[in-house]
Amino acid sequence: MRITTVGTFPKIAKDHGPSVRTATQRFERRAINATDLDQGFRDVTQRVLGIAAENRLDLTTDGLIRWNDLFDGVVRDIDNVTSAGLLRFLDNNFYYRHPVIRGRLSYQGGVLRWWHQQAQQLSSVPLKVVLPGPLTFLKLAEDDSYHNRDRLLSDLVEVLRLEARSLRDLGAAEIQWDEPALAYYPGWDVHEVTDVLASLLQDAGIPQAIALYWGPNVHSWIDPLSQIGFDRVYCDAVSDPEVVPYLEHTTVQAEVGLGLIDSRQVSRESVATTARLVERVLAVHGDHKVWLHPNGGLELLPPDRAEQKVQLLASIRDAIEGRHEGGLTS
Amino acid sequence: MTRTLQTTSVGSFPKPPHLIRARARFRRNEITAEELRQAERQATLDVIRLQEELGIDILVHGEMERGDMVAYFAENWNGFALSLPVRSYGNRYYHKPVVEGPISFKGAPGLTVPAWQTAQALTNKPLKGMLTGPYTICDWSFNDYYPDRRSLVLELAHMVHEEAMALAQSGATHIQIDEPAISTRPRELDLAIEAMAIVTRDLPAHTISHICYGDFETIYPALLDLPVDQLDLEATNGHFHLLDVLASTPWPSHKELALGVVDVHSHRMESVDEVKAGILRALEIIPPQLLFIDPDCGLKTRTWDEAVGKLRVMTQAVQAVRDETGLD
Repeated sequence: MRITTVGTFPKIAKDHGPSVRTATQRFERRAINATDLDQGFRDVTQRVLGIAAENRLDLTTDGLIRWNDLFDGVVRDIDNVTSAGLLRFLDNNFYYRHPVIRGRLSYQGGVLRWWHQQAQQLSSVPLKVVLPGPLTFLKLAEDDSYHNRDRLLSDLVEVLRLEARSLRDLGAAEIQWDEPALAYYPGWDVHEVTDVLASLLQDAGIPQAIALYWGPNVHSWIDPLSQIGFDRVYCDAVSDPEVVPYLEHTTVQAEVGLGLIDSRQVSRESVATTARLVERVLAVHGDHKVWLHPNGGLELLPPDRAEQKVQLLASIRDAIEGRHEGGLTS
Repeated sequence: MTRTLQTTSVGSFPKPPHLIRARARFRRNEITAEELRQAERQATLDVIRLQEELGIDILVHGEMERGDMVAYFAENWNGFALSLPVRSYGNRYYHKPVVEGPISFKGAPGLTVPAWQTAQALTNKPLKGMLTGPYTICDWSFNDYYPDRRSLVLELAHMVHEEAMALAQSGATHIQIDEPAISTRPRELDLAIEAMAIVTRDLPAHTISHICYGDFETIYPALLDLPVDQLDLEATNGHFHLLDVLASTPWPSHKELALGVVDVHSHRMESVDEVKAGILRALEIIPPQLLFIDPDCGLKTRTWDEAVGKLRVMTQAVQAVRDETGLD
């Protein structure tokens, strides 16, 4: 079994370490310059990647330290999209600037590529990139130009593929497409979703994953998304408790991720209980096809608790490996 | 006869530099609690004078004693611990409380009364008593004790009710119970309404609830059942799309609407003309005697100068609408 993170990490330290918050405040007060601010982002990213290395993650994000929200990076990279007013991000007390589409989308690029390059230099753990999936982007954006869903989706997929290709060329270990809207909102047309996402995956040349979180409609997507070619399907098994029972009885083509660590609650999961849940899935899918991860980005937790959740991933893996080697100790 | 298009504010004002310094020094034990209170009183006086100078009708005290609308109550009630900060957007963070045990008052209710009394003594205009609603306190806290959200929300509702009664008994005629989280989970709207009914039951005051940054389409018109006299909703952040939502149902004659007409999360200063246009659009669906005008949300994220500028634009736009329409 392998362990990974699936998104954000707090941009502040649990103690007196580097902090994007402090650096930004100092920058706005003109106490530091743009170079110092950039160094602040690098320092915090390095800390996040250090935590990933200390806990021997098999794959990690860079904590999305430079992103304001899930859409921020791609909005900067795509022409004719701007960030507008704040909206609540699904059912969280976290707010994103919703993208407004003001003209035909074209790919400018550069920002995410540069951000990823910076993080790569600091990471000893294979580094993936998180991108918003086209369906979540469409659902949470405002269309001020196309007024034609099919055309907009088609162009959106095209520019996102260009973004993914650009990151592939840099050597990203995985593209993780985040589609929380599929889990959160009911009423999707399964054929449309699979057609759109299949088209997104064409000629990828890099492992591609999809992350479904913060909604109750996760398990029903696992098989259809696996069939269209995602290498990994990361599932929020906290918001949808049916994920584990479903995977106990269903084999799928893709590797499966179990988001059993709650990234929205401070309480610490039991190592033994979580290990037993993972083992139920391991028994069906095998060690090489199962991942354990938080159910979403860890930035919704305070930094000390977020770090504890990463440590928990390692503890659970150790417990499972220990059991396989002769006894569960925790 | 009551004036139409009365103006007000949502709650917080930016803390002036002298108060920010005083709060930091208090945390480092360099000044006493009384010295901090003195700095808060001075800042409150500035907020009251500003609102009077601008001709605002229903005042707020500016929440100079509060760091955050939820953490303030958590810091002062039993059962909560404060976490390290959690980001809510951009570079804004808050100390998200952790409910670790049964919640209760430390002593008698009335935490918010002294600040209200101090501020009300500075003006003859009505000044709102400011509370955070039970649904929002629950939603913006980690619940590590109660078996479910409903248990925590209803327990909080009884506490907020007692706090509201303490304000009313002190003379507050307008009491605002903020519920910005109410649109977070449309399936829990009934719970939020049930909780608000507990808060406002037999409360001898004009009641207001401020709600912002949510998907109003998912909770409207059911939101009209929230048992308060006035709904205070943000509109500018969403380019007044809110008005399209409100237009879907005839506005009830028993409910007031306070409409947010300046964006508190943008440095950009709105023009009088664009604010005026928003108010005129609102008047197409809300009778003037039921329509109040205010900013989208609390002003604490702006600089003092930006807050003054936005309130000035707001009051000038209201006057321009009055002049143009003949409303008084």
